[in-house]
Amino acid sequence: MRENPIIARKAFWFAASVSWLVLLTGCAIPGRPSGSVDPGADALSGQSLYQLDSMWTSDEGREIKLAALRGRVQVVAMMFTRCQYACPAIVHDLKRIEGALSDSERANVGFTLISFDSERDSVEALRDYRQTQRLAPGRWTLLRGGPDDVLELAALLGVKFKKDASGQFSHSTLIATLNPEGEIVLKQSGLHQDLEQAVRAVRSAAAGARKARPVAKPEGKRAPDPR
Amino acid sequence: MASRRLIRLALAAVGAASEILAMAAEAPPGMVAIPPGVYRPAFRADSDLKEIVVQPFAIDRYPVTNAEFLEFVRAHPRWRRSQVKPIFADSQYLKHWAGDLELGPGAATNAPATWVSWFAAKAYAGWKGKRLPSTAEWELVAGSGTTLPDGEKDPEFLKQVAAWHSSPAPERLSPVGAGKANFYGVHDLHGLVWEWVSDFNASMVTGDARGDNGLERRLFCGGGAQGAKDVSDYAAYLRFGFRSSLEARYVVHNLGFRCAKTL
Repeated sequence: MRENPIIARKAFWFAASVSWLVLLTGCAIPGRPSGSVDPGADALSGQSLYQLDSMWTSDEGREIKLAALRGRVQVVAMMFTRCQYACPAIVHDLKRIEGALSDSERANVGFTLISFDSERDSVEALRDYRQTQRLAPGRWTLLRGGPDDVLELAALLGVKFKKDASGQFSHSTLIATLNPEGEIVLKQSGLHQDLEQAVRAVRSAAAGARKARPVAKPEGKRAPDPR
Repeated sequence: MASRRLIRLALAAVGAASEILAMAAEAPPGMVAIPPGVYRPAFRADSDLKEIVVQPFAIDRYPVTNAEFLEFVRAHPRWRRSQVKPIFADSQYLKHWAGDLELGPGAATNAPATWVSWFAAKAYAGWKGKRLPSTAEWELVAGSGTTLPDGEKDPEFLKQVAAWHSSPAPERLSPVGAGKANFYGVHDLHGLVWEWVSDFNASMVTGDARGDNGLERRLFCGGGAQGAKDVSDYAAYLRFGFRSSLEARYVVHNLGFRCAKTL
């Protein structure tokens, strides 16, 4: 039996390109030059919220994973735009944190609001909310997602919520501060907290971020997610 | 006139019964079809729904066993004990197993899989093309007695359930299926392990948004079960308390799960 020359040639090129890839990655991992590698390629720590694979939509209509928030400190809260009392207060608290930071600190910090209300908080509703609340573009991220993903994120943050008879959401209030790697460094629950602690956490996480940034952390590849 | 109405009623009853039977035929293997129903939470705040309509769904006949969970972790290394991310399961995850892929003497193959987090349970369900049941679904099925769809009318059933809840969990868990099936043909909802539900974190609202801590107050203050719709259903009260104490990454020696599927 003779080998088909075309297939053999294809197989050769395939094998050659695979081994080339292996060589490439094999070389890149141990002596990775820190500045030239995309930070997204580094493995996330096992404590990172950015391990989540769920997809979210921003008020600009962008489809993102939470890992897109990586690189800056994030102050995160869950809310819904029709909320009359607690959510405006949470957003107000986040703005107070924002206001307490210096311009240079603010450059390394983002604020993220994630809606409970998958049904009614459309991209447009979030966009309107950004306008009425005057949330700075670039610094504030507003996200909506599917009910299962909202439930999962709430579970991860430790936020309890449920829809009540009037279609409103009863929910616990939480402000979570994430370091640039997506690890929770501070959780504050309840409204009208003393925000000094949060401001300190944000500052130290942001300072740590500036120092830590050039360090690459090869931790191996992530297994495919069955969820 | 009266007889015509009777005939109509009888026809409706036959219709409903055949509907239930038709649905039973649709359940995937290992699952039981549950006809649509209404769940009335035993405990709720004033602002909560009094009744939740539950659409037809299927639920696993038995809790997921160690052997089944082992298949899952074989297929998905990231859920092995040594590889699971700490954000998705705390350090005691599958601690009764002998190793990553070895059950050992502490975990019988046909005993319910426990020491699993909500994330792991959810991932298992997804792998099977299923999902976790909601609180309303789980409670609807678990609320049935052995002979009646409404267990609250069955004092013997309530007594058995309360007896389990008041006795400590044994060191070694019994195999699934040892207990009697309930009205729907589902086993082990009571008497073996607690079970994760998809919306466990809706069980109670602490530090409520609108300063209404009604449910929490009622669960923990002296009045105890005063928020209860039916004081005799003390076990449901315990389940609410238990769920509200959980976090998604927690693992517990007698907390397992089973899967559900929308029909």
